Amino acid sequence: MPLQAAVLGLAAVGATAVALCRNVLRQIIFSGIYGLVLVVLFVVLQAPDVALSMLVVSGTAYPLIVLAAIARTRGRAPEADE
Amino acid sequence: MTRRQVRGALALPVLGVLAVLLLWGFSGLPPFGNFHGLYGQLLNHIALPQRHTTNVVAAVVFDYRGFDTLGEEFILFAAVSGVVMLLRADDEQEPPAAEVESPMLRYFGVIAVGVVLLVGIWLVAFGLVTPGGGFQGGVILASGTLLIYLGEGYAGWRDAIRSHWLDALEGGGALLFALCGLAPMLTGAAFMQNILPLGTFRDLFSGGLMLIENLGVALAVTGGFTQLFLEFMEETREADAPEEPGEESA
Repeated sequence: MPLQAAVLGLAAVGATAVALCRNVLRQIIFSGIYGLVLVVLFVVLQAPDVALSMLVVSGTAYPLIVLAAIARTRGRAPEADE
Repeated sequence: MTRRQVRGALALPVLGVLAVLLLWGFSGLPPFGNFHGLYGQLLNHIALPQRHTTNVVAAVVFDYRGFDTLGEEFILFAAVSGVVMLLRADDEQEPPAAEVESPMLRYFGVIAVGVVLLVGIWLVAFGLVTPGGGFQGGVILASGTLLIYLGEGYAGWRDAIRSHWLDALEGGGALLFALCGLAPMLTGAAFMQNILPLGTFRDLFSGGLMLIENLGVALAVTGGFTQLFLEFMEETREADAPEEPGEESA
């Protein structure tokens, strides 16, 4: 139980960090770390198969697609980013 | 008051209401660790003797509700096809030369590709006896190919990954899964009925037809996700070298 509470707390901190971060690239890194916390949370809550899917989706697929989108939009409208 | 302060003042009551609703909802939940799903409890009891798999989730996905998975398989297929149709450029440009300078990154990439692919194959192979399976293993295999991109750059990645092979992998995997449903019907059994020998309990080759379905899902997911990565990476490449407006041909 204390382990579960600790990881839930970490997830809350991670989600807040993602939401409050204003730099897009840094935000992707934060979201990756937050995803990793969620992976640990799933393992702690005894859902290892969900954790495996989450590991790849939050660690690779999601950051990659967001990065590709950022690269694409910056190429089109360089003045629009921060 | 500035705009920002007005927005903050408006958000506070909404957040308060949301918090009350959430607390109200959570207070009605059953105690932590209590599970009242009859379907799940039933499956936990019958899946092991009936299907000889220790991964009950896999038994549900590939056997008891295999028909649903067939639908999901084609959702993935349709999604990837849609992305490819939307994003694929008409003209095949020459990719830029590899620009990865760091030798450490290259060595790490080459070593890590093997390790990650091995983990992916392991997850697929033991999908029915450990928490893993075709989807998880397939996604890990697909992201393993991305490490080639990290280590060798776009050109090296395109050399290693052939788009046509990915199409064949994805389509072939989905076809294999559909055939696993149709083949038992030739023998007079029901759609996707597990007609193969179930094997020894706890053994790697246990689960009968589910082994082949698992492989089909792994192939389809590997091909589909790598194809997605390929298409999105092409987007970044075009951003690196924007086309001249006058050069576009009809």
